[in-house]
Amino acid sequence: MQLQSSLALIAPEIVLSLAGLALLLIAAWSRNAGRLVTILAAVALGGASVLVAPALCSGAMGPDTLAFEGQFAADAFASFAKILIFVSAIACLMVAPRFFDRDGAIRAEYPVLMLFAALGMAIMVSATDFMTLYIGLELNSLAAYVLASFMRSDDRSAEAGLKYFVLGALASGILLYGISLVYGFTGTTSFEGARAAMSGELSMGMLFGLIFVLAGLAFKIAAVPFHMWTPDVYEGAPTPVTTFFATAPKVAAVALTARVALDAFGMQMDAWRQIVIFAALASIVVGALGAIGQSNLKRLLAYSSINNVGFILIGLAAGTAAGVSAMLVYLAIYVAMSLGSFVAVLMLRNAQGEQVEGLADIAGLSSTRPLLALCLAVMMFSLAGIPPLFGFWGKFVVFWAAVEADLVALAAIGIAASVIGAFYYIKVVKVMYFDEPAGVVTGRSDWAHWLILGVTTAAMSPLGYLLTRVLGDLADRAAEALLFVA
Amino acid sequence: MVDLSQYLPILIFLIIALGLSALFVFLPMGVARLTGAHNPDAEKLSEYECGFPAFEDPRSQFDVRFYLVAILFIIFDLEAAFLFPWAVTVFDLGWSAWIGMMIFLGILTVGFVYEWKSGALDWE
Repeated sequence: MQLQSSLALIAPEIVLSLAGLALLLIAAWSRNAGRLVTILAAVALGGASVLVAPALCSGAMGPDTLAFEGQFAADAFASFAKILIFVSAIACLMVAPRFFDRDGAIRAEYPVLMLFAALGMAIMVSATDFMTLYIGLELNSLAAYVLASFMRSDDRSAEAGLKYFVLGALASGILLYGISLVYGFTGTTSFEGARAAMSGELSMGMLFGLIFVLAGLAFKIAAVPFHMWTPDVYEGAPTPVTTFFATAPKVAAVALTARVALDAFGMQMDAWRQIVIFAALASIVVGALGAIGQSNLKRLLAYSSINNVGFILIGLAAGTAAGVSAMLVYLAIYVAMSLGSFVAVLMLRNAQGEQVEGLADIAGLSSTRPLLALCLAVMMFSLAGIPPLFGFWGKFVVFWAAVEADLVALAAIGIAASVIGAFYYIKVVKVMYFDEPAGVVTGRSDWAHWLILGVTTAAMSPLGYLLTRVLGDLADRAAEALLFVA
Repeated sequence: MVDLSQYLPILIFLIIALGLSALFVFLPMGVARLTGAHNPDAEKLSEYECGFPAFEDPRSQFDVRFYLVAILFIIFDLEAAFLFPWAVTVFDLGWSAWIGMMIFLGILTVGFVYEWKSGALDWE
C-alpha cells in the first residue's frame, strides 16, 4: 500500500527512466534515428512536466508528498524546479539537431543522455536524504561529463569533458566527505534526522560536515570560490550542451542547496548563512570582473552565469519564505535569459555555416542581422538588470527579500557590483550597434532557434511583467512547501 | 572557543603513526645495509610499476580495446558485488526486494544490449 503511493509520487521519474531505456535501445538498433529519438525524448520530458504540474498548482507539501519512507519528496518546491529543468532540457533538445547537422546527423545518444541527466536532476531536487541526493547528483554528473565531450573529434570539447570530470569527481569527493561527517555526528542520513540532531549546540564535526557539504554543492552551482571550471567547460562544450549546463543543472543544484541548507541544516542558519553570503558576494564580484576581458561570447556568458548565481544566493542567504520565493523567481528569469542568450550565440554562423563565437565577429550585427541583434541586445540589457526589461524584476525581488531579512549591507554591495556587471553587457550591445560591421555572421538560422529566441525575448521584454503575479504565486507556494517542516 | 585539549588523543595518535611509518621505511633499509651485500644496479633501483617500464616515450601504441573491455568488466563485476548482500537477505525482505533487484538487472541488461549492438564487444 505504502509502496503504491510511493510509486505514484515518483511517476514522472519512472516515465523518464523508461523513456531513457527504450530510446537507448532504439539508438542501438538504428544508428541514424537521431532526429526521431530527439523528438521522442522531448515528448517524454513534456509528459513528465505535465505529471509534476499538479503538485505545484495544488501547493503539495507535508508528509503526503514523502515517498519511500522519507527518502524523496514530491512537493511543490521540487515540482517548481522540475518544470524549469524539463522545459530547459526540451529547449536544449530542440536547438541541437541543427547544430550537429554540420558534422553529420545528430547522434541518438545525445537525447538519451539528456533524459538521464534530467532524471538525475529530478531526483536531486526531490532528495530529502543524503543518499538520494548523491545518487541524483551522480546520475546527472555522469551524463553531463559525457555530454561535455560529445564532439569527440574536437580537442576543446574533449578538454572540457576531462576537466569537468576531474574537478567534478573532486567535488563529489568533498561532498561525500561532508556527508560522512554529518552522518558520523548526527547518526542519520535523512535531512529530517540531521535537522533534529543539529537543533542544539553545533559540534565541531557537524560544522566541518556542513562546510564540506556546502563546498561540494558550491562546485555544482559554480559559485566562487569553486567556479574555476566554468569558463573552460562552457567554452569547450558544444554550444547546445553549454546551453543545457547553464540552465537545468544550475536550477537543480540551487534547489538542492536550498533544501539542504534550509531543511537539513535549518536549525543552524547562522553557521551556513555566512558561507552563503560570502559565496554570493564573491560570485557577483568575480563574475563581473572576470567577464570584462573576455573576447569569446561563451566565456563571457560563463562569467555572467557565475555572476547570476551570486544574485540567486542572496535570496537563499535571506533564509525566509520570501527569500526562497525570490530565489525561485530569479531562477526562472535566469533560465529564460540564459536560454535566449545562448541560443542567440548558437545562431551566429558564418557563410560556410560554421559557428562563430568571438566578440569581434558580431561587430555591426545590427546592420547585417537586425532582428538577431535586437534579441541579443534585449537579453544583454535584461541580464544587466536595466529596468524596463524583466531581468530587473528578478534582481528587485531578490534584493527586496534581502532587505526584509535585515541584510541591507549585502543588498547594497550586490547592487553596487551589478553596476560593474552592466559594463560588459552594454559592451556587447555597443559592439553590435556602433562598431564597423565585420560581415562574418551571414548564415541562415533554424526555425527552432527563432522560436526559442522569440519566446524568451518576449518574456524578457516589458511584456514579461504580465507574468509577475503567476510566477510570484507559484514561487510562494513552492517556498512554503520547502519551509513546511519549520 | 574550541577546547583543543580534547583533541590530544588524535595528536598522540598522529605522532605514533608518523613514528611507526618512519620506522617501517627506515628499519628495513638499515637492516639490509648492515647485513646484506650492497651492490645496486639499474634494475634494482628502477620503480616497480606493475610490470610496465615506468618512464618511456608516451607516443607508443597501445590497444584502447583492452581498456574498453576492462571498463565493461568492472560494471558487471560491481553488479555481482551488489548481488551478494541481496542474495543473503532476499528471503527476509520478500517480493519487493526480488522485484527491485530484477529491475536493477533489467536496466543492466538494456545497457548490455546497447553495448553489444554498438559493437563494443567485437574485437575486430
